[in-house]
Amino acid sequence: MLRIEKLTKTFGRTVALDGMDMHVEQGALYGFVGPNGAGKTTTIKTVIGLLAADSGRVLVSGIDVAEEPGRVMARIGYMPDTFGIYDNLKVAEYMDFFAACYGISGLKARERCRMLLEQVGLDDKADFYVEGLSRGMKQRLCLARALIHNPPLLIMDEPTAGLDPRTRYEFKEILKELCRQGKTVLISSHILPELAEICTDIGIIDQGKMVYEGSMDEILSQINVSSPLLISVAGDRRPALEILRSHPEVDTITIRDEDIMVGFRGDKRDEITLLQRLVDAEVQVYGFSRERGNLESVFMQITDHDSGEVVLRHEN
Amino acid sequence: MKINPIYRQESRGSARSFRLPLIVLGFNCVLAVAALLNMYSVIAQVRLTAELQYSSFLEMYVFVASVEFVLLLLLIPAITAGSISGERERQTLDLMLTTRVGAADIVFGKLLSGLSTVFLLIVSSFPILGLVFIYGGVTVADILLLLLCYVVTALFVGSMGIFCSAVSARSTVATVSAYCLTAAVCAGSVAVFVLSDSFTEMTSAPGSGGASWVGLLLLCNPAATFQAVLDGQLGPGYGLAAAFPWLETVLAGHGRLWWISGIVVQLLLSAAMLAGAVRSVAPRSSKKRGQRRLPPQGRNNFR
Ligand SMILES: Nc1ncnc2c1ncn2[C@@H]1O[C@H](COP(=O)(O)OP(=O)(O)O)[C@@H](O)[C@H]1O
Ligand SMILES: [Mg+2]
Repeated sequence: MLRIEKLTKTFGRTVALDGMDMHVEQGALYGFVGPNGAGKTTTIKTVIGLLAADSGRVLVSGIDVAEEPGRVMARIGYMPDTFGIYDNLKVAEYMDFFAACYGISGLKARERCRMLLEQVGLDDKADFYVEGLSRGMKQRLCLARALIHNPPLLIMDEPTAGLDPRTRYEFKEILKELCRQGKTVLISSHILPELAEICTDIGIIDQGKMVYEGSMDEILSQINVSSPLLISVAGDRRPALEILRSHPEVDTITIRDEDIMVGFRGDKRDEITLLQRLVDAEVQVYGFSRERGNLESVFMQITDHDSGEVVLRHEN
Repeated sequence: MKINPIYRQESRGSARSFRLPLIVLGFNCVLAVAALLNMYSVIAQVRLTAELQYSSFLEMYVFVASVEFVLLLLLIPAITAGSISGERERQTLDLMLTTRVGAADIVFGKLLSGLSTVFLLIVSSFPILGLVFIYGGVTVADILLLLLCYVVTALFVGSMGIFCSAVSARSTVATVSAYCLTAAVCAGSVAVFVLSDSFTEMTSAPGSGGASWVGLLLLCNPAATFQAVLDGQLGPGYGLAAAFPWLETVLAGHGRLWWISGIVVQLLLSAAMLAGAVRSVAPRSSKKRGQRRLPPQGRNNFR
């Protein structure tokens, strides 16, 4: 759906994008994460043709933005990091204006606006002035506006910034619904955990480069791998240590009271067989768990500039 | 009929705000006061000397027309300069540019809505301008020509305002630069002319007319065009130019040709500035500048 290849962009002496790559599959809910100033907004503006890249390519459904920006824009619904709202217009008029900007008019425009306002839950606010809406409502209005030309790809720049948890939840529900309708959604944020529940794919950008890209399942399993396995053993733990030491997937073993903390590289399957072996060796296991990985810490690790190399593995 | 969505949006906004009626009211109040004061002074003169000078009625026409002209010069930058930079400040310019609306649509929509406000002002001043018909001496054709002059001035100064708005990020900067540009065109060209005139008089024999090329600079001055139109109607000696005898020498002798070429020059300059505005509004696509246009079905089919 969206492919970015080796995108670079400099503003004077600031390098905003430095060989960015990105791949968003059709139907994905793609979380585009990076710390402030990483280049998310710059990437997004380049994709919709508001900024010209210095080099590299952006392809949306196989169409190059630099060559046919109009056709690309027609396929993208764009929600910037600011609302972009006219205070002296009513909600319905605001929608009508942008419908007209897309050449949609008359009955068709009215029906489409009504349908979208209903979808974002603003149908009872159509006659309200935009300035009177709450932040969350403005956000939803902007979403409705971005969808007015029924684009297959929706790009949102930090849409959840400044929303309260309840509004944020509702917003996510709307996004999930959009995905069910077959839209591809790219959503940027500087908070990874926020996207974790809804996204199918994740791309982590740092200093203008894509440092990690993969499906949510992949990153979650990597996180789990990176946190230690906690085995609680009653009685004699020597047989247990014996087995652990000989296990190829075990990196580190730390003993804390009755618990053994094991740096374990294996996945869920390996965990099962390990537990099986311990039980078979008549080790009295009464606890066997992995500490739930923390997305925050992974994000910190990935975007940690001081450690130089970017690592996903748990440091042993 | 095709309606530019930007224009429609603007007119909806201005129909709702108090600004437009206030401007119309203020504009016509100033004009009416100017006209009535002038009439009063003519009548007072008559009472005093018991002698009625026909030229004082013409003076009233010149006076009211000049006041209206100056008011337009003062208002047009304010009306147009905030248009595009205001969209930028509201962050809606980017949004519009991602739709099927192009930079040209935005610039012309804004120009159109600015001009329609100015036209409203001009039209609303008809009754006051019509006072001059009480005494005669001015024909309908004269008034029509005056209107043409106003319209061209509105277009020219409006284009300057739009241009300033398109290149600046903030509305305040745009407004200040629009006023500076207007002042430079209206007063600056005269100043250059005066300087060069006195310079030529110092260096060459008097009456050699060596500075005539600088006089051409006045072609892009809407005030000079306005003066030339008045001169053409009433003969020299009226209005602003009465204060600048040398200006008469430039304007005189060319007759109709002067203001016609002035209008042509100003229309050309307007077109150039609008093109510049479109260029700076359009997103920079480095590879194919100016070719960021739309699917074949035509993006101009606004209805
Ligand atoms: N118009 C601009 N002029 C100069 N520098 C810019 C401009 N836009 C962005 N930058 C710089 O580019 C870098 C990336 O910015 P941005 O894409 O906005 O980051 P993010 O959206 O991830 O927070 C930042 O260092 C920022 O200072
Ligand atoms: Mg940003």
